[in-house]
Amino acid sequence: MLLGISDPQILIGYGLAIGLVLACVVYGWIYWNDNGDGHGS
Amino acid sequence: MDGYTGTITEMAMAVDPLTTAVFVLLYIVITLIIGYVGYRQTKNSDDYLVAGRDSHPIVIALSYGATFISTSAIVGFGGVAANLGMGLIWLTVLNIGVGILIAFVVFGKKTREIGQRLSAVTYPDLMGKIYNSPLMQYISGLIIVIAMPLYTAAILIGGARFLEPTLNMPYNYALLAFAAIVALYVVFGGLIAVMYTDAFQGFIMLAGMSALLVLTYVYLGGVTAAHSALTAMSDLVPSTLAAQGMTGWTSMPSPGSPIWWTLISTLVLGVGIGVLAQPQLVVRFMTAKDNKSLNRAVAMGAPWLLMMTGVAFTVGALTNVYFYQQTGKIAIDAAGGNVDAIIPAYINMAMPDIFVIIFMLTLLSAAMSTLSGLYHAMGTALICDIWGRGRACALSMKANRVGVIIMMIASVLLAFLMPTNIIARATAMFMGLCAAAFLPSFAAGIYVKTPSTKAALWSMVSGAVSWFLWTAFVHTAESKPLGVCQLLFGTPALLPLPWTVIDPIIIALPFSAVIMILVQHRSRRPDTSKEDYTIE
Repeated sequence: MLLGISDPQILIGYGLAIGLVLACVVYGWIYWNDNGDGHGS
Repeated sequence: MDGYTGTITEMAMAVDPLTTAVFVLLYIVITLIIGYVGYRQTKNSDDYLVAGRDSHPIVIALSYGATFISTSAIVGFGGVAANLGMGLIWLTVLNIGVGILIAFVVFGKKTREIGQRLSAVTYPDLMGKIYNSPLMQYISGLIIVIAMPLYTAAILIGGARFLEPTLNMPYNYALLAFAAIVALYVVFGGLIAVMYTDAFQGFIMLAGMSALLVLTYVYLGGVTAAHSALTAMSDLVPSTLAAQGMTGWTSMPSPGSPIWWTLISTLVLGVGIGVLAQPQLVVRFMTAKDNKSLNRAVAMGAPWLLMMTGVAFTVGALTNVYFYQQTGKIAIDAAGGNVDAIIPAYINMAMPDIFVIIFMLTLLSAAMSTLSGLYHAMGTALICDIWGRGRACALSMKANRVGVIIMMIASVLLAFLMPTNIIARATAMFMGLCAAAFLPSFAAGIYVKTPSTKAALWSMVSGAVSWFLWTAFVHTAESKPLGVCQLLFGTPALLPLPWTVIDPIIIALPFSAVIMILVQHRSRRPDTSKEDYTIE
């Protein structure tokens, strides 16, 4: 049990939600001044 | 919905009515002042229709998010989380992964580039120019003008139900006042006013939901203590829900059970994917000056969205702990069996007075920001894409203002006719229809080098028709209240379980996509001028 939740499917859901937010923040930070088209390239 | 009426009345009565009215009126005045600033900056049709294609990244992020998240997402879906548990967090995963990351990075940049190159000003205009097809523009506009008022009317009902007790006015006047206040800044200020007010409302929503999360964990003794208490309540799951597959509030339903199908197909996939092809959201991409504005909006929009749906679903589930500790009942029982009443009842009972007011402003912000985007999308679709398609007058600000007013009136009339318990259902239905009708042709339009007009038209029509057939004849959540299947065949649904709980989007979207692919491969696009502006 982690943080009071035992079902790994719920924990994975929370982990993915927070992980995706971090991915978005990192993406925005890396490509902050990038004007390239598609996928930030 | 009915739950909104009673519970928001209770919320309004829980604090001093004069204080509440002062805060609400102050909020409305600030919103109108911001709308006026937008009006002053609106000099031409490009400003009115696509905010001058020069919006700030934080305005894009907040406007996109606030338009997407309506009252239904917070109160309606928060209540669903209280009833069905934390499994709804998978919708937040899709909200961020699909609604932000894929929407902005995969679709947003291409949409902005092509939209700017083709000088497209609305979603149907974009589709018409990509496919070099006036018919495509016309049909897209028609679907918007027919379907969007249903969703708009649902938002109007929610807002009026809020203002009715808050400002102590009759429902009919509240509905008219709510519609008129939002219309005032949309009609005159266009998309600049819409996006500026959205950003202001987005900040209020962020403040309200942040306070809700922190106070909830404080009241329940911390994160782990709160979750552990909820996990320990699994034996309190009502027998009716347990029989349909629910296993607890911190665990997923049994795979393949009716509740599992509803959770995954309608709530997670239906709403999670439906966001990709909503015309009022796609237009936000066309307001960006360059791609780096969209990159920056990704970084700002994702945390904001997590604080909306992630908090609503988590707090929603945790209300069970609070109500059980305070009343000995689980949330749904404490709220009198009404899912929509759970979140307002919790706010009313657990939170300090000042937070009740902040949360009421959060709900009002959610409703107004969504409503303004819908007004703008409907009005411009009516004028640019249907009435004035191909004519210069379609781009006049005066004509578009008239269009917004016409669609506002149509939505208000519809709101008077529709049942009041339609908000969450209308939201899910609108998103499902948008995805089924628009998504395959939208994706092909921006990514396929020479997309077939014929394929796009077939995909749009087959998506809309298959969505309607599944809605009216199979998915009992809609087919039962619609009554068409019962009338024609004497049964609420033509197929047995599990088909009756599988959302229309699960059937109609793949069908529409397959039609797009098949016809695309069999067709040769008649006009090759597309290569002039398509990006590979």
